[in-house]
Parts: sequence; C-alpha cells; structure tokens
Amino acid sequence: MTLGRSLPKVDAVDKVTGDAVYAGDLHPEGMLYAKVVFTDQVHARITHLDTSAAEAVDGVHLVLTAADVPVNEYGLTKFDQPVLIGPHGTGRSRVAHDVSRWDADHLAVVVAETSEIADAAAEAIVAEWQPLPLACDLDAALGDGAPLVHPEDGTNSNVYHHLVARKGDVAAAFAAAAHVIEATYELPHQEHAFLQTEAGLAYVDEQGRVTVETAAQWVHEDQAQVAHALDVDPGDVRIRYRAIGGAFGGKEDMSVQIVLALAATELWKRGIERPVRCVWSREESIVGHHKRHRVRVHTRWAASADGRILGVEADAWLDAGAYNYTSNKVLGNLHLTVAGPYEIDNARIDSRAVYTTSVPGGAFRGFGGPQGTFVAECQINKLAEACGLDPVEVRRRNVFREGSIGITGTEMPPGVSIPEVVDACAAEAGWDQPRPAPVPISVFASLSPSSDRVRRGRGFACTYKNVGFSFGFPERSEATVVLHGPTGGVDDDAPESAELFLSGADVGQGAHTAFVQLASEATGLPVERIATTFSDTATSGDSGSASASRLSWMTGNALLGAVEEAEKAWRDGDRPATGVFRFVPPPTEPLDPEGRPSVPNFAYGYVAEAVDLSVDVETGHIVVHEVVCAVDVGRVINPSLAVGQAEGGVVQAHGYVLCEHLRTAEGRILNPRLSGYLIPGIGDVPERVRAVLLEIPDPRGPWGVRGMAEMPFMPYAPAVIAAVHDATGVWFDTFPLTPDRVRAGLRAAGVDR
Amino acid sequence: GVTTRASAGDTIRATVNGTVVEAPWTPSSLLDWLRDQAGLTGTKEGCAEGECGSCTIHLDGAAALSCLVPAGRAHEATITTIEGLRGERPLHPLQQSFIDTAAVQCGYCIPGFLMAGAALQAERPSPGAADVDLALSGNLCRCTGYYSIAAALGIRSEP
Repeated sequence: MTLGRSLPKVDAVDKVTGDAVYAGDLHPEGMLYAKVVFTDQVHARITHLDTSAAEAVDGVHLVLTAADVPVNEYGLTKFDQPVLIGPHGTGRSRVAHDVSRWDADHLAVVVAETSEIADAAAEAIVAEWQPLPLACDLDAALGDGAPLVHPEDGTNSNVYHHLVARKGDVAAAFAAAAHVIEATYELPHQEHAFLQTEAGLAYVDEQGRVTVETAAQWVHEDQAQVAHALDVDPGDVRIRYRAIGGAFGGKEDMSVQIVLALAATELWKRGIERPVRCVWSREESIVGHHKRHRVRVHTRWAASADGRILGVEADAWLDAGAYNYTSNKVLGNLHLTVAGPYEIDNARIDSRAVYTTSVPGGAFRGFGGPQGTFVAECQINKLAEACGLDPVEVRRRNVFREGSIGITGTEMPPGVSIPEVVDACAAEAGWDQPRPAPVPISVFASLSPSSDRVRRGRGFACTYKNVGFSFGFPERSEATVVLHGPTGGVDDDAPESAELFLSGADVGQGAHTAFVQLASEATGLPVERIATTFSDTATSGDSGSASASRLSWMTGNALLGAVEEAEKAWRDGDRPATGVFRFVPPPTEPLDPEGRPSVPNFAYGYVAEAVDLSVDVETGHIVVHEVVCAVDVGRVINPSLAVGQAEGGVVQAHGYVLCEHLRTAEGRILNPRLSGYLIPGIGDVPERVRAVLLEIPDPRGPWGVRGMAEMPFMPYAPAVIAAVHDATGVWFDTFPLTPDRVRAGLRAAGVDR
Repeated sequence: GVTTRASAGDTIRATVNGTVVEAPWTPSSLLDWLRDQAGLTGTKEGCAEGECGSCTIHLDGAAALSCLVPAGRAHEATITTIEGLRGERPLHPLQQSFIDTAAVQCGYCIPGFLMAGAALQAERPSPGAADVDLALSGNLCRCTGYYSIAAALGIRSEP
C-alpha cells in the first residue's frame, strides 16, 4: 500500500522551482516594515525611555513599547518573560517589565514605510539603564550571594526547577561495586542555524482576526500566546504557517509572533489597514533565540566485576539562561536519559534548572536527551574499558528489555526494542571484525596525506527518547477528514477522494508527506486523491507541536480515528462525510517530588550508532569514515524521508561534537554569524552514513509507527568520544573536539606522534 | 573583479531569466534588488555575508553569491535565478534529481544548491566527488547532511 514507499515530498516541486513561499517572501501591496529593537542590556533596569525622536522620523507609523502590551508576559511553559521591556506597563504581568535579563530582550517595535527608515528610527530611541549584577554562568548563578535573575519567583536561589530520582539503596550498591566510574562532564551550547531566519507578516483579516503568517512549530500554541499577551480571545487570533525553513526546536518559542500581532492591531486601531512584515537578520536570529543548553553533570556509576550496573548517582545542572523557555521540560529528558537505557536498581539523581543572565536554553532536537545520553554513554564506555568488556557486550548485559522498570520506577511502555537495535547496529557495523587499518588522511592542503601520525578507532553508543509530550502534559491531536464521492454518484458508491485538515507543522522533515501517506493507508485512497489544508488555526483543530518526534505517531493515530468517524458518517449516508477525531494517548504523570514511582511517557524510540574515525595526533584533526545509525522506526512511512532524518541528525550532531563552538562572554554571544559559528559544510561531514531502519512495531503506534526524528542525533557525540578514545587512549569529557582541543588533550595525556 | 555599473538615480536594466527587467538602482545587494525590485523571491537570504550560499545565482553565466554583489553590477548583465533555471522545460534535470534523491527537506537552501550545482554541471557534465565538494563548499544545508544533495549530482558514498 502506501506506507513504506519513498514518495516525493508533497512540497518538493515548489521548493526546487523557487515557487515555495516562506514568510519572508510575502510582499503584499502596501506592506510596512517592522524592526524589533533589542535592549542590548544583559542585566539592567530601565530608568528612562524616550521614543519621541524615533516617532518623529519621516515614514515612521508606530513605535510600540511595554506600555502598549496589554498583558506583558509570555512563555511556553512559564510566563516569565516580558514581551517588551520598558519603564511603564499596564501592571498586568507577573514578571517585572522594567528589567532586561538578556541582551536580546525586546525594547520596542518600530513600524515604518521601509526597513531603512525603521532601522534609522530604532537608532533614535533613547533608553537609560541602571546596570544590575551579572550571573552569566552556572558558577556565578549558584554561588553565595548570586544576584537573583527572577526574584519574582520568591525563592532565594536561581535554581528554579529540581527533579529527583530515588531508587533502591545507593550506598549499598557502591559498597558492593567492583568498579566505580566517576566524572564531571561539561556540555556546550548549540545554535540551531536553521537556514531561514525568523520571519512573519501580520494583518487584521476580513473577519477582524489579527493574523500572523509565519514559520514556527505549533500554530495553536502561537495563537494562545498571542491571545494571552494581547488579552483577546484565541478565536480573534489566526496563525498560519507558510513554508518553514528549518526549526529543530528553535522555532518552538515566540520570536516575532506577538510583536507583529501587536503592531498589526495597533495599526488597525489607528485606521492604518496595511500588513506589516518583520524578517530577522542572521545576527538577530542567533542573538535572539534560545540554544541547546549548556549542561554540567557530575556522576558516579557503580558496577559489578562482570559489567552489570549496580547504581548511579548524578547531579545535573542545566544553564537555563535568562528565561525558562522549555527548560523545565528539557530538564526532564536530561533526567530520564542521564542513566541511559539501562536497568538500574539503585539510583540517586538530582537535576536542576538554573537561571543565569545568559542566552536562554530551550528546545533543540533531542530536548535534553543528547546531553543525558552523552553522560550515560561516556560512563558505560568507560565501564566497558574498566571491566575489559567489549562496549557492545556491556550494553547487552544492561539494556532495558520488555517489562523492564525504568529510572522513574515504573514499567517501560510496551515495545522495548533496544536489545535488537544494539545488535543490529553492531552487525551492520561489522563490530566483531578487526578494526580497519589507518588510512592516509590530509587535513591541510599543505600537508601531504600520511598515515604515520594517524590513529583509527571505533566507538559505540545507544539511547532512547520519548515520543510525545511527557510528564503529565495533556497530550492530544486533532484531525479532520472529509470523504467525497463521485459527482452525481449514488449512495452505495465508495469514497473517491478525501480532504485532510491538520495543523501539524512541516518544518522540513516531511510531516505533510507522511500525513498524506498515513491518510492514504487509512482510507485506501491513492495519495493523488487526497487534498490537504495544513497549519492554519482557522481551518484545523490542534494537532500539537512539531516536536518530541511526535507528529507521525500522534497524527497517525488521530487520522485513524477521523477516518473511522468519516466512514461511519459515510455509511449513514452523509455526502460528503466528515470525521473529526481528537486522539488522546495513555496519560503520563509529572515526576514525583520525592522520587516515588511515576509514568513519565507513553512511548519511546530506540537508536544505536557505531562510528569509525581517524585522529591525526599531530594536528588534532578528526576524520569520520563511517557512521552506522540503527534506528527503530516501528514501521517505515517513507524510507527516503526516514533516511534523511538519520543522515541529517547525524550531521547536526557531527557539528555539535566536532566544530560548532558558540562563544559567550559576560552573557553575550561573541560569534553570532555563520562566518564565526561554523556548522558542517559538504566537505566536513562523515564520509558515509549508513542508516539502518528497523521495523519493530510500537504496539501503541499507528501501524506500529514510532517517532524517529530526534533519535539519530542523540548517540553520535558519545560514539565519537569513544572512537577517539579507542584511537588514542584518551577520554574527552567536554567538546567540541576542535583540533586545538584534541591536540592539547592528547599532549596532556602524553600522546605524541 | 566585481564592478559597479550603475549608481544613484540610474535605472538598472538587466536580462533576468530571459526577460529584460528595468528597475531603479538601489544602494543594496543584488540579492535585495532581485527580491524587492524584480520581485523574484526564490533566491534566499540566509546570512548576507557570503557564508551560506542560499543566494546563489548565475551572473553572466557564472555562479555568484548575490548577497555580496552590489545591485548596480546587474546593469546590462545576464542573470539566471532559480525561477529561470528550468527555462522552457517542466523542470531542469537537476531539479528533478533533487526530487528523486530526496535532497529537499526544508528547502530554504535548495535554490542556492541548485544554482551552484547547475553551474558545476555546465562546466563538468559528470563531476567527481571532489568537484562536487568544491563546487558546493560555499553552500550550507542544516537538514540533509548533504548526502542526498551529492547523490543528486551523481555522487554516492559506497560502503
């Protein structure tokens, strides 16, 4: 049938011809330009704001400040961020609106005839600031007498979210241990670097709804946040997504949505019925959205002589930056993965989110899972070395199995496939074969290829990742399917075509193509007979976010229900026959504050990777020859798209562990451009990525489907670390492994040529 | 070297995708002129500093980063953008290859890759892996990992 076929993406033709419309391409008649003015203050109280000179600039229509925001607060999971910072407000926000906590906090929105005029007017805004003390990293924010970033929380600490796991008798486990593996890991920021920067166009539509056409990850959440800040009914706000040029979690939170909606509303109130557009520059984008979190983890693992993990202790600190964004949720995934996909009877894990006066951390492919996985997989690889066991064998002795009790003390959801995934990865990588011989590599054009300074190594890592929203969040997904018969047909005709109304965002991963294939499978209609309307709050119910590897899983289940409803209506004689269905998965629970058992998730995906690389011990350069990525997708919807997620995820992680280095000082990003923040180019990537798609059904997934988009990212960094160790004998507990760091680490460990 | 051929107050007259376009000179990049004056938004801005290649066009037959070229350089020039790549055909063969190898995810970088790739093919109809790496070294993609893009140009990594 339709599942399992590599159909072209539904938007592929438009994207190769240039016809695809991204929000920044919109240019309706009479359009005005909005400039979002950043405070440029890391931590300071505003004492004076004068926009009169800006307003007087010829061609300026509007300068909006904090006093213009009805409810001056927003946030995806906590209202801790003002929409605009200013000395005056409406008095209706919980968070103080007169304090900038981040240099990309928004000070004003200028609306003008041209972008040049808007820029010039922004320069004419006068603000006076009273500096506040900084706490730009974990050490500063956790120290005695550290300034509080959010005193409105009413606590005396910047630690604002704390998760615990308590299992068994940890002291006894360590007392019985033959091996104790202890380390502190420091993980860096990562920038999303989606190619399309933040953009949107706003206007009041013919029905009086303030409308924002933009690119993000969840139309209904955008709608809710805009409505909250503007203090209007959500039905008076319409969000519609145009083509989305990448997101990866970086477009999950608000960027231009609220300020554009506010600007369009204010223009309309003043009788200026003109659309207004805002497009961020690359520098505005990198400075102005959250990052993958910096994390510090101190951990100790106890193990028996034969490599069985007896106990885990871990203390994790997540640098949340100036605002929560999704940090409290990211922390949960870090917490669940920091002890790995392993059966552990005795555990004490404390994970904390910490406010700092630095760039906020937030959602990014894997959502805390990559950081937790890095720690767990480095630990188990070190354990393998300590026990004299093969890294794959030590995993076979510890991984979850069907019915295993997870780290939160409850049974894993059905469909645990990590043993099979580990075995498949090892088999495909030829793990039982001798390690390949070093090959000559040339890291500089000026150096001739040589193998005498090259050492080759292999590394292995695996992990698990939840599918869908966790920890008691009310997960759901709505779908509408309309079945049509032939024109002029008779009552007993079968449906001839279908229309889908879904809001799930296609951020590039191919969600809309997958939706069509799932709908085709559910209706039995060919994909050509399925018409679609996507990503518009005016036409679809809430399908939830394009995140947590959840869209295919959740939407597939919702489509199954909607098709069943529509077919029932069809049998009852409706023409056309409409089915509306709201799918609700098995419930989850918040983690217990004392660490008592809880069910955090309803489904997981599983992945393992093997990496083969060479290290030039003279220069510190690393060349990755081959990556085998074995990922259990449950059931392949579209092989090409699934392989694309595996390859793309691996290469994003390749940048994370080897070359991407976001530098910050005193709370500011020092390299907010693609010329200074280096993501992999075509010449930098692994020579080969072999994606192995396993199809071990998820009993709760539609047709067995599991989520898979985040998983390939997650084990790559620790697999590279393990391969570098295999090659050189040196463990690196931090990254990126830029050549200078590798060389310094090797020399410090006494590794010369 | 790049020379500016028109200045303030002039009208830029260029042949874009086979059609003569006349529009005012602007003190901007050729990228902005194409998008804002010529109304051709298929060419994308990703960085505005020549790092990402999303703005790649053909300028007098050669691949060029339109964000680094002053608008005035377009005067009397022949330009092809992504909208004109296919000419009179339904699709340029490389456009079809990008679809066939699933090289398109978010698509934002794709116009730049297609223009750079088509320029390479015009020079070398059967490029080797090193040719492709060099020709596309100025184009960034954050979605695919580049393997499907290289495959569209005939390069497949063998296990």
